[in-house]
Amino acid sequence: MEFKVRAYRFNPETDEKPYYKEYTVEDYPGMTVLNALIKIKSELDGTLSFRRSCRSAICGSCAMKINGITKLACKTQVSLEIDKFGIINVEPLANMPVIRDLIVDQEVFFDKIKAIKPYLLGQREDEAHNRFKTLKEGEKISQPVYDKSEFKNLTGNEDTPNCILCECCYSECGGVVGNKDYLGPAALAKLYRYAEDPRDNDKNGSRLVNGSMPNGFWDCVHCQSCEQFCPKGISPVKSIVRLHEKSVKNSITFSSGSKHVISIARSIGETGRLDEIKVAFESGGVTGLLNDLPVAFGAGLKGKIPPLRHKLIKDMEDIRLAYKELDLEDKL
Amino acid sequence: MLKHDVVIVGAGLAGLRAAVELRKKGIDAVIVSKVYPTRSHSGAAQGGVNAAFDENDSWESHFFDTVKGSDYLGDQDAIEILTSEAPGNILELQSMGVVFNRNDKGGIAQRPFGGQSFPRSCYYADAVGHMMLHGLFDNVLKYKTKILYEYFVTSLLTDNGKVSGVVAYDIKNGKFEGIAAKAVLFATGGYGQVYSSNTNALINTGDGMAISINAGVPLMDMEFVQFHPTTLKSTGILVTEGARGEGAYLLNSLGVRFMSKYAPKAMELAPRDVVARAEQTEINEGRGVDGAILLDIRHLGKERIMERLPQIMQLSIDFEGVNPIHEPIPIRPGAHYSMGGIKTDYNGRTAIEGYYSAGESACVSVHGANRLGGNSLLDTVVFGRRAGIDIAEYLKSASGDRKFDESAIKRDEEKFEKLKKSAGKERHGLLKSELQEEMRANVGVFREENAMKKALDKIGELKERAKNIGIDDKSKTFNTDIVEAFEFSNILLIAEVITRGAILRKESRGAHYRTDFPERDDSNWLKHTLATLDEKGSVKFDFSEVAITKFKPQPRTY
Repeated sequence: MEFKVRAYRFNPETDEKPYYKEYTVEDYPGMTVLNALIKIKSELDGTLSFRRSCRSAICGSCAMKINGITKLACKTQVSLEIDKFGIINVEPLANMPVIRDLIVDQEVFFDKIKAIKPYLLGQREDEAHNRFKTLKEGEKISQPVYDKSEFKNLTGNEDTPNCILCECCYSECGGVVGNKDYLGPAALAKLYRYAEDPRDNDKNGSRLVNGSMPNGFWDCVHCQSCEQFCPKGISPVKSIVRLHEKSVKNSITFSSGSKHVISIARSIGETGRLDEIKVAFESGGVTGLLNDLPVAFGAGLKGKIPPLRHKLIKDMEDIRLAYKELDLEDKL
Repeated sequence: MLKHDVVIVGAGLAGLRAAVELRKKGIDAVIVSKVYPTRSHSGAAQGGVNAAFDENDSWESHFFDTVKGSDYLGDQDAIEILTSEAPGNILELQSMGVVFNRNDKGGIAQRPFGGQSFPRSCYYADAVGHMMLHGLFDNVLKYKTKILYEYFVTSLLTDNGKVSGVVAYDIKNGKFEGIAAKAVLFATGGYGQVYSSNTNALINTGDGMAISINAGVPLMDMEFVQFHPTTLKSTGILVTEGARGEGAYLLNSLGVRFMSKYAPKAMELAPRDVVARAEQTEINEGRGVDGAILLDIRHLGKERIMERLPQIMQLSIDFEGVNPIHEPIPIRPGAHYSMGGIKTDYNGRTAIEGYYSAGESACVSVHGANRLGGNSLLDTVVFGRRAGIDIAEYLKSASGDRKFDESAIKRDEEKFEKLKKSAGKERHGLLKSELQEEMRANVGVFREENAMKKALDKIGELKERAKNIGIDDKSKTFNTDIVEAFEFSNILLIAEVITRGAILRKESRGAHYRTDFPERDDSNWLKHTLATLDEKGSVKFDFSEVAITKFKPQPRTY
């Protein structure tokens, strides 16, 4: 069966703006979108440019938009796409500048990975290096003991060490759309991976402190796209939420994001209601409050200004009980 | 023109491991790779990395298993280093941040692997290569290593008998760059793309080996190509040996565990050469299932599959349309690993002063005629590390009496420009497919003189047609068309070296099986082959001795 591939084309040397080019390809059972692109390149048009390497969903090279959705071309079956859309539309990833055709500039993405210090902090490696030995006849080596449970968030199938840095999450991230300096899901998931590592020697909590700065994990907009589009079934947003929890638990609460969370919890814990004015003040201080004024004014015009004084709600005791149950009281 | 003390070409495990060793000492080493480091093929390694940790195991046992696995062609001095340094290397990786699954005692969990007499393969589910690659990459970032990614190395330069640097093509903008250095390490991986139906990434085109033989450095034992017994029928994608390590069965069309006939003791966990031949025999004799064998893991149960083999499960669903929890996986042998490569000693040194190689591109030789599963990841870190240490030592005394021949940059540039202007009608992508199919059919699991001569004729024909290659893409920005054309010339050269070596070696040993010479012949062939090119560019062979220190060759049965 023949089908059509409609490819985004752009070569900065010759094209003023991007255009789409259509190719007709012969299908075979099990053909993937990457197979189709390779067939086009080797038989029809050698100028079509895209990245590829392992073709088995582990290297992360061939992430692109296929019929509007970010995917790995190598693990996307042509037949399923054709059944659904009747055509294969391929476009480069979003949130990164296009170099050519389906190839984007990944420099910023990897700069953000570097920015979170993706390695164990402390001197452990040197310790081990000093212990390194070539075994003599009959000699054994003793190994450090770690309980399974210490690695429980690092050895599951959905855990972040399985991330292949394919940039699918970054391409779909709502946070990056709004703020191009936001670190994004992959880098923050990696930050979590090291913060969670029992061998990490980050005594002063610098990871959580740095991650709490602007553009860090409090800037996640919780759109859940990273989880939805991850080709490896990982949930970066889950890691980000755990980072929120970790930093609040460790009293790293200088960021407006953490203050916001705490203030909301406290407001509900105290009155059973969300006291928006108080929350705005406690999260951002006077500046925060002033910044929110236009919004408040707009809301006021529509008759939606929150009450200045909150009354206690009925069944308040139940809420307090729930807080106690969740072990939240001490932390607030 | 760039200048560094060390250039590391290739950013898989061996290259990154060497880089960490050098950067930790503050040495000015730069990594050059044709892909971003995390795209390297080391990441696709699934099952495990071997090291003797258990109190009932010993590195000496690992040593012997590896020698026997190599069909006695491995150099025993090097294998002794590989196995006695294995546990130390794994612990070092662990301390760098690599995560391994744990056993109940709190140590590193280990699973059985083919040809190993003890369960000694350390793993991270079925993605240990991925874990190690990313762990080492993170360390390379820790030591603020300069990485020139998406640079395609085109030449290795020497002067005064010493290495002087490399020429590289910047794929992003089409510019050629000279990089002068006192030491160069090639950790450029294998050549799986010589064959159709292979487990390798599309980037594995034997570039480093081809550049080396062109620069006069011998390639050793190139006729030994490993065919992995379990690759997905339709795509050749790897299904880890760890599946059999966890207890999977191999079944023929009669539902029989046929390995009982070929390796009654080891069964499915015989070494790869034995299992691949057994499967091919079953298929050839009509007991295959649509040209494949069945790998059955259903009896392991859903929970164990999800815990230990999650990637395999997903790959089978995505690429073969089979859920292994409910159905057996159709598999067949596929080209997987190059035992041969750039001849080095156990410190990574080659025939040229200052020029090193490590990992799959190198031949130390620790794998001899057949590599055992779980020994290749080990090879990359043990010898990547050793090369790093040796280079650091070398730099202390390395003299600067060598010039970087800048005309080489121009020469390579002109080669590219000439190809762009060619009016030739041959398409390199199609020539590659023809070559791959020829090599699979005639220089595969079973080999025979006449068939291999036919392959050689085909290679000769393709060399002629390759002169007439034209490329569509004339631009400078990310021109992958032209890179692929040069990759094709590399695999074509490597295919010829493999085929000529295979015709020359008139015996059967390890992965090299000749139906016309079915026995191992220690009196004539217990030796390494060394391939070089003569002035006319024809492949010629020399031989070197195998280092036999502890274990005298014995018949090899499992």
